[in-house]
Amino acid sequence: MSKISFPHGVHPPEGKELTAGSEIEALPLPERVMIPLSQHLGKPAKALKGRGDSVEKGEMVGEADGFISAHVHSSVSGKVKKLHQLPLPGGRMSEYMEIEVDPEATKAVQFNEPALDTKTADREKVVEVLKAAGIVGMGGATFPTNVKFSPPKGKHLDTLIINGAECEPYLTCDHRTMLEHSSELMDAIKVLQTAFGFEQILIGIEENKRDAVQKLQAEVGAKELPVEVVQTQVKYPQGAEKNLIYALTGRIVPKGKLPLEVGVVVSNVQTLYAMYEAFFKRKPLIERVLTVTGDAITEPKNVRVPLGTSLETLYDYCGGLKGEPQKMIAGGPMMGIALPTVNYSVMKGSSGYLLFQEPAVPEEGPCIMCGRCVQVCPMYLAPLRIAALAKAEKYAEAKEFDATACVECGACAFSCPAKIRLVAWIRYAKNFINIRGL
Amino acid sequence: MTGKKEGYIITSSPHLFSPASTSRIMYIVIATLLPVVVFSILLFGNKVLLLYVVSIATAVATEFVVKLFRGKDKRSITDGSAVITGLLLVMVVPPDLSPVFIALGAFVAIFIGKEVFGGLGANIFNPALVGRAFLSASYPVQMTSYSQPATLFSLGGVDGASGATPLAAARFEGIATPLKALLFGQVGGSIGETFALLIIIGGLVLIGLKIVDWRLVGGYLGTVFLFSGLFYLIDPSSYSPPLFHLLSGGLMLGAFYMATDMATSPFTRKGQVVFGFGAGIIVVIIRLFGGFPEGVMYSILLMNSLTPLINRYTLPKTFGSSREKGVVA
Repeated sequence: MSKISFPHGVHPPEGKELTAGSEIEALPLPERVMIPLSQHLGKPAKALKGRGDSVEKGEMVGEADGFISAHVHSSVSGKVKKLHQLPLPGGRMSEYMEIEVDPEATKAVQFNEPALDTKTADREKVVEVLKAAGIVGMGGATFPTNVKFSPPKGKHLDTLIINGAECEPYLTCDHRTMLEHSSELMDAIKVLQTAFGFEQILIGIEENKRDAVQKLQAEVGAKELPVEVVQTQVKYPQGAEKNLIYALTGRIVPKGKLPLEVGVVVSNVQTLYAMYEAFFKRKPLIERVLTVTGDAITEPKNVRVPLGTSLETLYDYCGGLKGEPQKMIAGGPMMGIALPTVNYSVMKGSSGYLLFQEPAVPEEGPCIMCGRCVQVCPMYLAPLRIAALAKAEKYAEAKEFDATACVECGACAFSCPAKIRLVAWIRYAKNFINIRGL
Repeated sequence: MTGKKEGYIITSSPHLFSPASTSRIMYIVIATLLPVVVFSILLFGNKVLLLYVVSIATAVATEFVVKLFRGKDKRSITDGSAVITGLLLVMVVPPDLSPVFIALGAFVAIFIGKEVFGGLGANIFNPALVGRAFLSASYPVQMTSYSQPATLFSLGGVDGASGATPLAAARFEGIATPLKALLFGQVGGSIGETFALLIIIGGLVLIGLKIVDWRLVGGYLGTVFLFSGLFYLIDPSSYSPPLFHLLSGGLMLGAFYMATDMATSPFTRKGQVVFGFGAGIIVVIIRLFGGFPEGVMYSILLMNSLTPLINRYTLPKTFGSSREKGVVA
């Protein structure tokens, strides 16, 4: 068993067997898409098209607004029907562009020319391509990737980490992508290596995906790349950025700082695949692989989906809903957002949709001070303390206990015998700390 | 689309939960205590069974009445926490105690020891020990009259029954009790504390299930062993050997089942060690130099009062905080 890991953490049931063996299937072209202009961290993109405008697949329809923002492209060819104001998962409102799909025109669009000279790429060019393609972190955080690869003056990136941990239970889209697109992933790494001259390149994968480890190792050997594929322990949250960096390099990202502080840049597997498509095919980020799973979906699958596809279309492709679904989650079961209705569409950060018939909704009891939350917190916080302070409306004190360092992984609430919604309370405190500028 | 379009349950993440629950923890603790309970009845007779029934009933009834008048959350009536308090209280009193006194003790344990502070998890002192401390202070004679157990095991010429408890015999009369008699409960003492072997087995099960932290138990027992051993090395003729200290009195029951009470012991790993160390030192000092032959109860109660402070000073440093220096490239 691999000993490479981070201290603390939990072992939730994996649930990956539902889809780990399912090859990625391409979703047939939907009839219409609803593309949110805010599918990334930072300012929403500015709409470039309006009602009645024709758009082409891959065309930019939303322009990045500011440094921390990202372009949005159309995943289909067709006509803009309307711009809507609708909620995103979690409740924040966003502009959505509704596009009626023209199937013939969409199929006619091909992406095949490289966006840069892959043999001599320099970092300015790479960053420019990443920005033009609207690539953001597809592990869920959706931070603009071009910004991640543009460290401020004086900071040097010497290590590239590819995050293939996929520690969220149930999700298998990264696993399948590593298995089915190992060659493309390596080609993308090669371009990044040419441009940035990393001293070390590490791919971290939990050892429950041994086939992916072997596949990537074989690919590294065949392409003679200076890449180390590292098999880590299966432990949640192994894929949390700071914990993965520690597990693979021993480096500790200072509290409140970004990985670039220790010379590291981390990219998720899906993001790396999007980079491949941008580098080698000049294809912007207009589709992604995600996992649809749970006991309330007829055929759990890994699907490549055009961005903006409605969840109804997606579920229909997976054989429709089954039994009596009670809970729907966008993302994984540990950090995902529960959705009230199916009226949402697939976005850049959508790693999966889970549907459950009998979700656990335990009632919160009094804290018995057992300290399990303290013992599992990957950030070494005292969740019980922060939650108690949040309940008592003592937000400044919650900050003293480093509430803002919480990554909301959910390990504490998972392990709590009193079933206290620790993450919810900490998030609540964080909001007040943020709003009041404490 | 087929299937439900809206009306899904909305909760904050995470959406998965470990099977651990407060009542599950409580009932596992009770289950590991059952062998000790059964043997204590065999050792001391049916009068003890009556004490268990009265104590548990009073504890649960007190919890019930308090929850009737205040508190929306009624689960602590049935979650087993009051049962444990009632059970443990009987285990730390002499076998001949009157059922009236045990009822009084159980009431004080739950009402003063727990509910006054805000109920489950909010109490500062171990409720069962609050009950015992109350009884010791109020009825000192009844609380120090120990009868001898029935002979359940033939221990090869070992005669455990000698009037006083082993600790009192050693302290005041200089009589040593064989370790075998201590292990198998063939000595005088409180109802549930004499059968050291069964307590150790139950305690190890709890450590295996991660309900009890080995750091606290290890810190406690290790400190008693080393500290009492130090005196034994200095003067073996006046001080008992360290193994005797480990197995006699209420130490095993205290270390595995009382000091480890989650609400009243530190929630940090370092804090668990500190708690165990402090309690160990106090026990040895009381046993060797105090006015009482036994000091487990006071060692735990004193450390209970320090628990908030220990928590405060042993909180882990946030990952990446300035004191931890990373390997910066």
